[in-house]
Amino acid sequence: MNTKETVVQGALARDALGLGLRIPHYAHLFEHWPKVDYFEIISENFLGEALPPRRNLERVRERYAIVLHGVGLNLLGHAPLDEAYLDQLAALADHVDAPFVTDHLCWTGARGMTHHDLLPVPYVEDLVALAAERASYVQKRLGRPFGLENLSSYVEFRSSTLTEWEFYARAVRESGCWFMLDVNNIYVSSQNHGFDPERYLAAVDFSRVLQVHIAGHERQPNGTIIDTHDHPVSDPVWDLYRAAWRLGGPFPTLLEWDDKIPEMPVALAELEKAREFRG
Amino acid sequence: MSAGVVPPWLYVFQSRFTAMLRTPLDPSSGTFSPAPSRYDTELRHLALPSRKLGAAERLAVYNRQYWIRLFQCVQSAFPLTARLVGYFPFNGYVSRFLSEAPPRSWNIDQVPDGFETFLEKALAEERPARADREALLEAAALDVAWRRVFLAPPCDEFRPTAEDAARLTTGRLRPSAAVAILRERWALAALRARLVADASETTHPLPEQHPSPRAFALVRRPGGVGELSLAPLEARLFELLAGHPVSEALGLLEAECPEPERAALPANAQRWLARSVELGFWSGLE
Repeated sequence: MNTKETVVQGALARDALGLGLRIPHYAHLFEHWPKVDYFEIISENFLGEALPPRRNLERVRERYAIVLHGVGLNLLGHAPLDEAYLDQLAALADHVDAPFVTDHLCWTGARGMTHHDLLPVPYVEDLVALAAERASYVQKRLGRPFGLENLSSYVEFRSSTLTEWEFYARAVRESGCWFMLDVNNIYVSSQNHGFDPERYLAAVDFSRVLQVHIAGHERQPNGTIIDTHDHPVSDPVWDLYRAAWRLGGPFPTLLEWDDKIPEMPVALAELEKAREFRG
Repeated sequence: MSAGVVPPWLYVFQSRFTAMLRTPLDPSSGTFSPAPSRYDTELRHLALPSRKLGAAERLAVYNRQYWIRLFQCVQSAFPLTARLVGYFPFNGYVSRFLSEAPPRSWNIDQVPDGFETFLEKALAEERPARADREALLEAAALDVAWRRVFLAPPCDEFRPTAEDAARLTTGRLRPSAAVAILRERWALAALRARLVADASETTHPLPEQHPSPRAFALVRRPGGVGELSLAPLEARLFELLAGHPVSEALGLLEAECPEPERAALPANAQRWLARSVELGFWSGLE
């Protein structure tokens, strides 16, 4: 049902530049209303009944396009999808008329508990089928394009029979959904697991890429790279972004900055750098 | 509804991973650190080592991340309490609290719910000096009230019509969820306002005790949560109004009123009531 044309006809230009909407930026945003093509909100921050997030969202949506990015869908949890959560998510997407909604191809809770983290699975055939069926259901339920984001991960499993890029490509293709491609996550996982990130990119069907995320990360003393979103985008990630653009641009590009958040003009300047890598 | 075919091994895998995530961090070194030797053997076997880390050390990244995120979540909900208790012992309480009551909602704002009750129980068992315990519980109550007021849903503000005015004395005012009436024996509200603007993580000593309890209201305004000092009897009136029809609350207040303040009470009560309506303390008349 959702084709590339659906996205093109949405509120976003195909080469749009967007920023993750964060509370420390509100003061600057509401005073200066800077030029930015769109904002991405963390869906769960706006699903509750609390007034302040809603009031801020109303102000933002009057002037900017808003897309939704979730962290709580639990798409690959052993339990059924949470229908009450989906009701709220659909209502929020309708309310802001989101051009698309994204979440992660992962699990976030089990045995009735929620872990508030994006957790990995073994990459195996029977999970492709589960992911595809559920993602397809979510897209239909939301009535708008739904994108699956690739994780940063810190462990691999002996039982995997597919590479990460095969797993994601299959899930996207078989679900009829979209790829929310995070090039920082590709880099982080490539360093943690020792694969070639360019090989990952080469396997991506860019006609199914809904949006690309860029972000910063941090290298730990033990060599592990953690997806902290608390630094500027690193040079190797910019290089990957350039490679992605050559392979499949244009695509909407979104900068995430979630910790040690700089002043908004600094974040916007970092986002603008993306134009330099679109050659 | 999309059931999807869930492979049977997924429940087992996610149960083992969950147990690993929820393995409490070990505080014995003076920082909260993962203890990979305590992880499930099957899960450790399923995880692959990398060139730099063993399988269990790779899992430990998730174990640490799980707890640190939750520590930070509860710290941010209890900023005053955390600074008074000290971050390290505070995280110890959080670890015990969440070991007993794991997060169950996608809404991370709900993670700290009930922590104040846990803390009260924990402090009762530890038997610190009575004043310290009472001050910490008062701090926790202030943190809870602040968060409740800030996160309250949109509330209608009661603006009495002529019809309302006619039944004001017999009706009962419905308190707004965006307002809290509080009393403090220690100068905690002012300290809290200072500490939330201070990035330091050092333990802060308990503030001075007031000569007599101070009453105040927390009120959500467009710019944030504001504080409004209240006369003791004014605070008492609002507490009574929350549980009784207006005329009954006024009668109870009069009965409780100290003799020297009795003569001025009718005029004061009228003024306090008018001000409370003006400031949006009430969401309706029942």
